Amino acid sequence: MVDMTEERLKAAVVGLGKMGLLHASILNVLPEVELAAVCDKSSLMVSLSKKVLDRCGVFTDVEELCGLDLDVVYVTTPISSHFEIVKDLYSREVACNLFVEKTLASSYGEAEELCSLARSSGGVNMVGYMKRFCVTFKKGKELLEQKALGDVVSFDAYAYSSDFLDCEASSVTGESRGGVLRDLGAHVLDLALWFFGDLEVESGRVEKVARGGKDSAYFKVGRGDGLEGEFSVSWCKEGYRMPEFGLTIKGLRGVMRVNDDRVELKLEKGKSSRWYRHDLDDHVGFLLGDPEYFREDKYFVESVLNGKNVEPCFSTASRVDYIIDEVEKRAG
Amino acid sequence: MEEERKVLLVGDNPFHGISHLSQQRARDRGEGVSHTEHAAQLVISSLEHGAEGFMFSVSETTLSILREVFKKEVVNRPKLYALVPYAYEYVRLATQVGGISGLAKRFGKQILFSRNVKAIASGLKGVLGKNPEALFSTYLSYEISRIRSSTDKKADLGCVLLHEIVTDMALALDLEWVFKFYMDFMHNRDIKPGFNTRNFPYLINKFKEWNVELDDTVIAAPFNKVGFQMNPSKTECEKALANLSETETIAISILAAGYLNPREAIEYIAGLSHIKGVAVGVSKERHAHETFPLLRDVLEG
Repeated sequence: MVDMTEERLKAAVVGLGKMGLLHASILNVLPEVELAAVCDKSSLMVSLSKKVLDRCGVFTDVEELCGLDLDVVYVTTPISSHFEIVKDLYSREVACNLFVEKTLASSYGEAEELCSLARSSGGVNMVGYMKRFCVTFKKGKELLEQKALGDVVSFDAYAYSSDFLDCEASSVTGESRGGVLRDLGAHVLDLALWFFGDLEVESGRVEKVARGGKDSAYFKVGRGDGLEGEFSVSWCKEGYRMPEFGLTIKGLRGVMRVNDDRVELKLEKGKSSRWYRHDLDDHVGFLLGDPEYFREDKYFVESVLNGKNVEPCFSTASRVDYIIDEVEKRAG
Repeated sequence: MEEERKVLLVGDNPFHGISHLSQQRARDRGEGVSHTEHAAQLVISSLEHGAEGFMFSVSETTLSILREVFKKEVVNRPKLYALVPYAYEYVRLATQVGGISGLAKRFGKQILFSRNVKAIASGLKGVLGKNPEALFSTYLSYEISRIRSSTDKKADLGCVLLHEIVTDMALALDLEWVFKFYMDFMHNRDIKPGFNTRNFPYLINKFKEWNVELDDTVIAAPFNKVGFQMNPSKTECEKALANLSETETIAISILAAGYLNPREAIEYIAGLSHIKGVAVGVSKERHAHETFPLLRDVLEG
């Protein structure tokens, strides 16, 4: 637990891309937090930040964060750099409480190593699977826990966006973003693991076309008790202006469809129900991007203040890295 | 007492394929609504039925619609309320070109190709001196020139609003200079400055803290019966509005993205004091014919 009798939680954000700016902004609004430092490799971003953010330190290297007596650090750099940066932060003891944007690492091996470092540090650690903080998915989870569907038999999950539709350079830029599974599919994979517990990959296929923008993945998973699931992930799907995630879940008593916008429950006996975000108290203290970002950051900060464990922690999130590795192995 | 005349604006969300109720709803509408000629006709029909302006994010889609509207002999010329930047376009581009640095390079090229000498000079100054104000000025000049080149000289560019993602990020980061600079920039060009926000009470409080007057400013913020996107709560937004008599507050998302029927939605707005106008999107001719007369009828009695 952090001693907060006199000071606010001192936070730093490493990586000033769109996610870094978003988290830095939200942290700056939270009364319990002082945004003490930001760090980025880009000389343009650093120079501009120095002129604009006059109340916080601006740095180009993680090493420079040492000695700032930070309580928390957010890592919002590209996925491929998470491993080295998080290792560096732990080894230099920059802060023991870390938030890392998804995915935790570029492979399960790296993720396991980071989990081990996190255990040694003893702080609070979290990965930014923000869809867990979306009111519709929370409602879906609640209905599953209430056994509204009875025993779950199967599910279909999707993660679609039109980000790289008709974009010739997709595979080049896409690879630098960690590929379609890590960049887009990871969210729905985390939701499935949250809903159903551990899953094992049964088969997988990844389509990559260097200049055609056809980056998609399909895979099947299973659970020991017979539950089966299928995933479809693509960032070149027509009609998905914003990334969308969803699951259709079949149980012995009916079907539930849940996505970013709504939850629908169709029971074989009894009436059907539908909830939109409007019905599920989607208000937050400060809205930037989607409401789930504010909830996620507030939850992490409050957990650090109270010394509580969080979910998804590094260990939970590493299962997503595990499944992605397994799919890629099977896809060849 | 005679009711104050409200500013009624037709919004552009349907033309971009946006539905905040569900993406599926936007997909179900089909692509027809975003076709330039059809969208321009919807704007014109709205103007013929009581709308007096067009609120739009500056993008290639809406600029094509503007060109089409201004090509025609429209009796009621629209007052323009432009929103910059069209955040979605820039975020998507950043995703495709490898983040903010890639975006900056692409944007620099666009300005060079625009041959806007003032913007090029100020942009150069901004990049060389890494000067945020010069870069901001370059960007705003560029967007205004895009709008001007899509309309004619008589077009009434009544207001340019800063998009919610920039407004709210600048609010969160406590960037007082962004707001002051922006307001001065627009006033110097005889354009009313505006801010689109989803954190209405927070913005009002910050402006009070900074001693910035909001009298000659437009604020576009969600107001609707179910409190959709009214943060931190519907009650707090209503309270903040109650103390804001001089500002041109435009209610957006009044239908809560299609969750409410028009009459109940408009009756709620009619009950709020200090709302000076409404922006609402239409995706069908029938909507244009029905919505604006209903707005006039209920809001102005």
